[in-house]
Amino acid sequence: MRAGLRRTLAVTRKTLSQFRHDRRTLGFIVAMPLLMVVVFGYTFGGEVHNVRTLVVNSDAGPMASRLLENITGDTLALESSNASPRNCLAPGIGIFEANVCAAREEVFAGRAWAVLAFPENFSANLPPGNATITVVLDGSSPPIRAAVLGTLRGALEKTFAGAGAPFALELDYVYGSEDTRFIDSFAPGVVALAVLMVTTIFSVIMVVREKSGGILERLFATPLRSTELVVGLALALAVIAFAQSIVVMGAALLLFQVKVVGSIPLAFGILLLFGIGNQGLGIMLSSAAKNELQAIQFVPLILFPSLLLTGVFFPLEAIPSSFRPFSYVVPLTYASDALHSIMLRGWGVVEVGVDIVALLVYDALTLLGAAFFVRRQA
Amino acid sequence: MGDPGFGAGLNTASRFRRLVGTKGPAAACRDVAKSFGDIEALRGVSLEVPWGVTFGLLGPNGAGKTTLLRVWLGLAKPTSGTASVLDHEIPPRAVLPRIGYMPQDLAVYLDLTVGENLALFGRLVGMEEEEIDRRTDEVLRIVDIAERRDSLVSTLSGGMRRRASLAAALLHDPDLLLLDEPTVGVDPELRAAFWVYFRDLTKRGKSVLITTHYMEEASNCDLAALMHRGRLLACATPAAIKERTGARNLDDAFLALVREANAT
Repeated sequence: MRAGLRRTLAVTRKTLSQFRHDRRTLGFIVAMPLLMVVVFGYTFGGEVHNVRTLVVNSDAGPMASRLLENITGDTLALESSNASPRNCLAPGIGIFEANVCAAREEVFAGRAWAVLAFPENFSANLPPGNATITVVLDGSSPPIRAAVLGTLRGALEKTFAGAGAPFALELDYVYGSEDTRFIDSFAPGVVALAVLMVTTIFSVIMVVREKSGGILERLFATPLRSTELVVGLALALAVIAFAQSIVVMGAALLLFQVKVVGSIPLAFGILLLFGIGNQGLGIMLSSAAKNELQAIQFVPLILFPSLLLTGVFFPLEAIPSSFRPFSYVVPLTYASDALHSIMLRGWGVVEVGVDIVALLVYDALTLLGAAFFVRRQA
Repeated sequence: MGDPGFGAGLNTASRFRRLVGTKGPAAACRDVAKSFGDIEALRGVSLEVPWGVTFGLLGPNGAGKTTLLRVWLGLAKPTSGTASVLDHEIPPRAVLPRIGYMPQDLAVYLDLTVGENLALFGRLVGMEEEEIDRRTDEVLRIVDIAERRDSLVSTLSGGMRRRASLAAALLHDPDLLLLDEPTVGVDPELRAAFWVYFRDLTKRGKSVLITTHYMEEASNCDLAALMHRGRLLACATPAAIKERTGARNLDDAFLALVREANAT
């Protein structure tokens, strides 16, 4: 037992030495997850800015202007429509006022995203409770749609809150708040994804490298057991994955001020469990590969289902139900769900218990499989 | 086995057995066959490697030499037949720390230093840290790369890399050395030094088994086994083999034995 532990740690130690001597890879280990967070953070960050929105304010009273003043920030770029009036027929809605029509043309032509139109009797109709705002919207981009409606709703609330006006929307934030940004909801998944990419790539490449040099045979001509080899490698990679999680989390926290409600150590624990399983999977797959070129092709094989099926980018609810069973086979689903619940909902070990159990099963299966395959192909 | 006798110098084998604390031979196999799919790498080989000898396993590429080594190490499971090393049936996991193995492929990590490579293998066979440190100096002197202990293997020349690999096999002072083509790419001067060292080891009762396809190398061995297409053609002292075939050198002896085998 003690001798076995010593052999395991010998493998861990030499693997870390290999990384230590390879400066470029070492840089890559830090740079890649950092790059991922930055790129994901900025591109998928979800902060929409300067959405061109036309305003047609025909209101005779003061309320529409009061409402418009409450649309602050740079999410929407409000612009008074000054297009020349012309009557038109909007399908399904009826006849618009001429000036609304003109603004609508702009949206139709793709030059603006939305129109906010206040009719002449807007203020007058408020007290009886039948005032209307016409929102013309290009709905082709969900984040923009959400930004326009969200901003409008915010302004409505601010303007009419407490006044008992018909526009006061009752919003119930179970988790998060109006401050919750896209990136907040997004960071847990990206962190898990970064760990997934790096751990699988390294484990796949490393085992193939051991195999190609005839080293694996040489190792098995010592008392080293395949389980010891696999655990030793996994430990070394866990150290690497842990360092990377710190980089990724650090970037998310410092660069994007991602809010973490729950326990950060618990989040790291989840990442570690997830990383270990990924290495097992990587080692298993690399057993099927003859060289590094073949091995690297397994990486997209792992990555694509993880990207598309796991609720990292789309909520699980957005995945067609016929595909849903596949989602529950992809481990990233559990890692991302657990991180999401911990970081955003502040859940603890008990609440994410199912995810933890799923990840433990993942670890056990892949490590056993890895040990089996590594031995078999020696 | 068609054994023409071990010849002089081998009567000491039993004394060495006591020296290394073993009852049987260093390595033995009986009727071992091994096929990989359609390819029959070994077709019923029976062989004994006694204690205290340098044993040359000779034959052209594809003769089955490496497969036989892998069978003894437990890396390849024979299709039929039995084999043992150091009194252990294969796979010989319990006695692996007493075996030193140098494979034909360069089995050291290119991205580790020579010292780190040796430390890894030392730890894997259960050596203590101080012992590893001390022995590393010793074996690196033997293979003449002591000054490259802290160099990455990737920065060494081909011959030096092979020497590092040999050093890893020698590190734990094993009772049985299985060396697969250890002298490839090693210059003659160093090769001669290796043989002196191997003799030293056999004087201490250890056995050194070397595969090679250079026939003349076998004249350095106490015993030589000639293999051809998975079969054992002869196993005797080099002198006895030459005498039996009436050949002047082992090359000719080998050719004569192949002709003889083909004729029957």
